[in-house]
Amino acid sequence: MQKQIMKKLKRGAIGPASALAIAISACGLAIMPEQAIAQASPADTVVIAIEANLSRLDPHASTTWNTFRVIMHVFEGFVAEDLTRDDVTQPPLVPALAESWDISDDGLTYTFNLRKGVKFHDGTNFDAAAVKFNMDRMLDPEFEYYQSIASGLMRWMWQDLESYRVVDDYTFEIKLETPNIEFLRRLAMGGSGTPRFISPTSIRENGNDSVETNPVGTGPYQFASRSIGELTVLKGNSEYWDENRTPTIERLMFRPISEVATRELALRSGEVDMISSPSPDSVEQLEAAGLDIVSSPVSTIYMMWVNFKEEALSDVRVRRAVCMALDRDGMAEFHRNGFARPATGILNYGGPGYDPDFKDCEYNPEGAKALLAEAGYPDGFKTRLDWTMGGGGDVNTVGDAEWIQRDLAKIGIDASIEVFDNGTYWDMLGGGIREGTGFMSVSWGETSFFWLDQVVASAASPPNGFNAGYYNNPEIDQQLADARSSASESEMLGHLATLQRTIADDMAFIPYYTPIAIYAMQPNISGFVLAPQHWHDYTGLTKK
Amino acid sequence: MPHFVVMRLLQMIPVMLGVSFVVFISVYLVPGDVARTVLGNQASDVAVQALREDLGLNRPLLVQYGIWLWDLLQFDLGYSISQRVEVASLLGDKIVNSFILMGFSLFLVVAVSFLLSVFSATHFRSLGDRLTIFGTLLLASAPTFWLGILLLYVFSVKFPLFPTSGMYNFFDPGGFWQLVHHATLPAIATAASSIAIVTRVSRSAMIDVTNKTYMTALRSRGIRRRRLSYVHMVRNALPSFVNISGLQVGYLFGSAIFSEIIFNWPGIGLQLYNAILQRDVPMIQGCSMVIALTFVISNFLADYIVRALDASKR
Repeated sequence: MQKQIMKKLKRGAIGPASALAIAISACGLAIMPEQAIAQASPADTVVIAIEANLSRLDPHASTTWNTFRVIMHVFEGFVAEDLTRDDVTQPPLVPALAESWDISDDGLTYTFNLRKGVKFHDGTNFDAAAVKFNMDRMLDPEFEYYQSIASGLMRWMWQDLESYRVVDDYTFEIKLETPNIEFLRRLAMGGSGTPRFISPTSIRENGNDSVETNPVGTGPYQFASRSIGELTVLKGNSEYWDENRTPTIERLMFRPISEVATRELALRSGEVDMISSPSPDSVEQLEAAGLDIVSSPVSTIYMMWVNFKEEALSDVRVRRAVCMALDRDGMAEFHRNGFARPATGILNYGGPGYDPDFKDCEYNPEGAKALLAEAGYPDGFKTRLDWTMGGGGDVNTVGDAEWIQRDLAKIGIDASIEVFDNGTYWDMLGGGIREGTGFMSVSWGETSFFWLDQVVASAASPPNGFNAGYYNNPEIDQQLADARSSASESEMLGHLATLQRTIADDMAFIPYYTPIAIYAMQPNISGFVLAPQHWHDYTGLTKK
Repeated sequence: MPHFVVMRLLQMIPVMLGVSFVVFISVYLVPGDVARTVLGNQASDVAVQALREDLGLNRPLLVQYGIWLWDLLQFDLGYSISQRVEVASLLGDKIVNSFILMGFSLFLVVAVSFLLSVFSATHFRSLGDRLTIFGTLLLASAPTFWLGILLLYVFSVKFPLFPTSGMYNFFDPGGFWQLVHHATLPAIATAASSIAIVTRVSRSAMIDVTNKTYMTALRSRGIRRRRLSYVHMVRNALPSFVNISGLQVGYLFGSAIFSEIIFNWPGIGLQLYNAILQRDVPMIQGCSMVIALTFVISNFLADYIVRALDASKR
């Protein structure tokens, strides 16, 4: 039949005939015997599909957790968190490029003894001068290679800094204005800038922006190549100073695949070796398909901000009733399919002072109704939940809102839901909860408590921070200051426990769950550890 | 004809100016502060203000637009906020990738819908015709992202015939066949609903032609039915076929954005999507301008081809 059409057309009309010829050759294309189908990676390579495109690679200017997951393998700082353990609730601090350190008795002077014999990936020697170069780049606006956005990004880190200086070739000193018990912990963090060291030679030779295209550090992996939006490749640093973390996998390839269904299918088809954040609902299917699942709670909580400016919610009894109405156990078990733990206090898993037994309120819808009636709302009231669609690692946040909406309806509170994209949502949060909205919610939490300065302190009221519900309690401010200037860790934990109790008594924030992060991988991949942090160590990976 | 070309090209100028204004303004109508986005949650107000000054965000909006437009005319789209590379250089690669996907999709649309519509029109009211009509109705109703995931599930996972994502195999990249292999599923997903529309429209155009009196006259002169169908009918229905196919180019670009996201095709649609997620304003503006320009140019080309084919306007 087609042949006949062809014949006719050749005689009659040139255009359609050629179109048809192309069409038939298209049918031919469908049969491509020579084309290999699965593109499984070679034995020395692990391909990891991640949730979102990486942003800037400059450690002093990089702003996302997702990007830090990659660059933390390239760059190192004075100290690090040991992310090779998942049996602890807070990652222990370990030496990195500082072999050891001394802290003066007043807690103000930190003297770092730098590791000798460490080389940057370009062969530059790591020493105190390299540290000074990087400190200047982050903090000195007069410096030739100043990174202008670094100091703003790392205010949480350098807020207490007084001065810094080179003592000798391998000794560096940092002085603080006020003691900060968590200073070392904060030095190890990332995600909003990170105080890690870049090769001074590479910047001097190639300019300040070259860090984006050719980042040179001292880490267990070195940067190999990047095609923006497609692929970032790291290769193993065989000269790495720490034998325990010298990688056995020669090449790590990071592929951003933001669509979760595609990420899962890419894993199932064998195209990638490992994926982060599959949907909790897909875990059973992935396991049935013979893939391995690694999951563990991470250092964050999903929680609601309460709008103190709403009339009904300005009464603590009403706020308490909202808390008592939430079936957080059910939410974790059924809505999150077991991939969450109910969160009942503001001190998050993975952070200092996390207490699994702490309860801000007990689930009790009947009691909640009674409390509402006592506060003058026997028939409940109307309010609104402003919600985010979520960023990289968030899955089905709107489902959370619907669960909460249903729980609130049971005690007569009629809550509508409005959903926004993540960028807009953070701006709204920074601007304060709008009128008519009772609650907003994001996930937050760190392995340090610095984030509370931005969320619960009265100084963080909009537009100066993310205390979006205008919670104002001077006791909280004092407790935060006391915790920071504590002389010992136990003293700090004491202050934090008081703070958690105060916030729960005020019902200023209502946490609902700690997510359990999920990675899925091919069965020939092992050695992956999911430590309680937003980023994970890939140096232990092995492939059979 | 030259007059037509010049006129149409001149008309493109105000259109593109209008587009540029909308693109520029719409990004600024979204609530939020670009400087705050760049600097993150922790930044001090001083740093945010300094950056606002630096980016020129404190100037009047129209002045900002003027500067932006002037840079745009020199192909300077600024620096990407999230990547700190020049938008123009990044978009250069991405637009080529998108054109490749568009090329495959357009080819599928033209080839498949031509075959289907000729078949359907010549077998009017047969079982085959009815099946075609029913099939195209299904295709026209299937959203791209749904069809894309379905194709992935069936042809990459259940029957592993095609790769799930990307343009090339990352371990041994290169080669035309590898590209075709990777492009097949995204091109089908992109083309599906356009195939349905083009098929249905050109089928009815062909049936219309069949019912024309000159066709009866030709038939009465003893021209064989086959020649009548495949030559006279097709030739006379060709302008509407080209016209509707041309109009699909813009629509295809819309579908391609979804396909690029689902199949992780590193084109301009995926870039735009990521830029929106990262609130990368210069990148969003750059992508939107490039997409709009492609739209305008492809419509112009379609018009030109239709005119060239239409004997009465020659």
